[in-house]
Amino acid sequence: MRRVAVTGIGVVSPIGHSPHDVFEAARRGHSGIHRLDMPGAGRLTAPLAATVQFDGAAHFEPPQQRLLDRVSQFAVVAARRAFTDAQCALTHPERERAGVFLGTGMGGTVSMDDGYQTLYGRQSDRIKPTLILQGMHNAPAAWIAQEHQLRGPTLTYSTACSSSSVAIGEAWLRLACGALDVAIAGGSEAPLSLGSLKAWEAMHTLAKQDQGDPATSCKPFSKNRSGMVLGEGAALVVLEPLDRALARGAAIHGEIIGYGLTTDVGHITRPSGEGQAAAIRAALASAGLSAAQVDSINAHGTGTQANDSVETSAIKLVFGSRANRVLISATKSVHGHLLGAAGALECVLSLLALRNNVALPTMHLQEPDPQCDLDYVPNRARPGAAGQTMLSHSFAFGGTNAVLALRAAG
Amino acid sequence: MTTLDRIRAMLVKDYKLDPGELTLDAQLEDLGLDSLGMAELVFDIEDKFGLCVPDTAVSLTTLGEVVGFIDDLIVARDRSGQTAQFMPLAMQDHGQHQSP
Repeated sequence: MRRVAVTGIGVVSPIGHSPHDVFEAARRGHSGIHRLDMPGAGRLTAPLAATVQFDGAAHFEPPQQRLLDRVSQFAVVAARRAFTDAQCALTHPERERAGVFLGTGMGGTVSMDDGYQTLYGRQSDRIKPTLILQGMHNAPAAWIAQEHQLRGPTLTYSTACSSSSVAIGEAWLRLACGALDVAIAGGSEAPLSLGSLKAWEAMHTLAKQDQGDPATSCKPFSKNRSGMVLGEGAALVVLEPLDRALARGAAIHGEIIGYGLTTDVGHITRPSGEGQAAAIRAALASAGLSAAQVDSINAHGTGTQANDSVETSAIKLVFGSRANRVLISATKSVHGHLLGAAGALECVLSLLALRNNVALPTMHLQEPDPQCDLDYVPNRARPGAAGQTMLSHSFAFGGTNAVLALRAAG
Repeated sequence: MTTLDRIRAMLVKDYKLDPGELTLDAQLEDLGLDSLGMAELVFDIEDKFGLCVPDTAVSLTTLGEVVGFIDDLIVARDRSGQTAQFMPLAMQDHGQHQSP
């Protein structure tokens, strides 16, 4: 198996548009969550979201922009940023062995919502001829492949909240085994249509608004947590074999060293501690790590009652008496839950945490929960504490548990 | 404003085409208007001209042919005395849209 380096990072996120900015926001605990101001927001019980400051017209000419849902616009811009960061010019033959691996949970849901509004709301048949292209889940990956002329596999993964961890893991597997030489991998999500927000609300998974400060409404692992806050954005990484990266003198953000993937088969939404623990163990095995070698974890940490206690139990199952010495960060407290892009953004934050050797804080953790009794790095970053080896957890509705194992460069 | 002027204005504004290229004998393919681009353009023309372009195969290869085709539709519409408006779905098939 070949070692795989991350040489490029591109982000479009509620907490920033560059690796530096997202890391600083996460480190300082600056939340991107706020009250949502959009038509129909008044129909939401808790109109909260982590939105992206983004002007598509600044990035696309109108003829292309009309074909791209917000989710594709985020993805294409993040991919440009990742390739710019990687400074990786590909030759024609290299493009044959380069692929796109993209996760998205909800695809072009904003465009589809708009189409349904035309059809059912306005009772009109004037559906735009571009709607299928805007709505299809594989559009973000396809646009990235076209723009960068990547002729290898262009794959889209849709495993709900673990989509982009799966995308990065599957790309890693192909690079590690030599089937591919360059991959751009990650996720994109733009789920903030009224239809989607109402559907998430109907599941009773969304957080109540914090009465003091809406920005603190997502409280992973805190006793007073009340749910997740939806976010939007994209995060993509350029992956290549470590040897190739070293040979071309590329700056290396870190390494992907393992990937575990398991499925809970007991219930469509209820997480299983055993299933999550199995995914963590699988990631350790694929990385050739023992549990004792893991320094820190970016938790799935959604802020729902069920997730955070079950995830805590899964960590205890794997790490045993050492569980309280593994530092656990739940960065969704500041960037919200980006669904199909969450794992990728958290992988990026984990790589940056390793690179800067700072354990990122779990913000808004004011009330300890007896069921969540590990070290979640509450409310304040811990410099010098991230260590060398991290896991990034993503656990999904549908039961797809994905864990990435990461190592600091050098 | 002639039909050509109106379509040219749309192509310059929304399709970012060079006004100098938009002559009557310009080939649609050369302008980058492939089948998808034409589907979009026809949709916009329907909106702006208040026309309903029939969903039948028509072979148009130049901008002039598009202008001629649209002018014919305008004449036909005006002769029929109908103000072209898109009928709301509810008026076309009452209640049918509820299923499945």
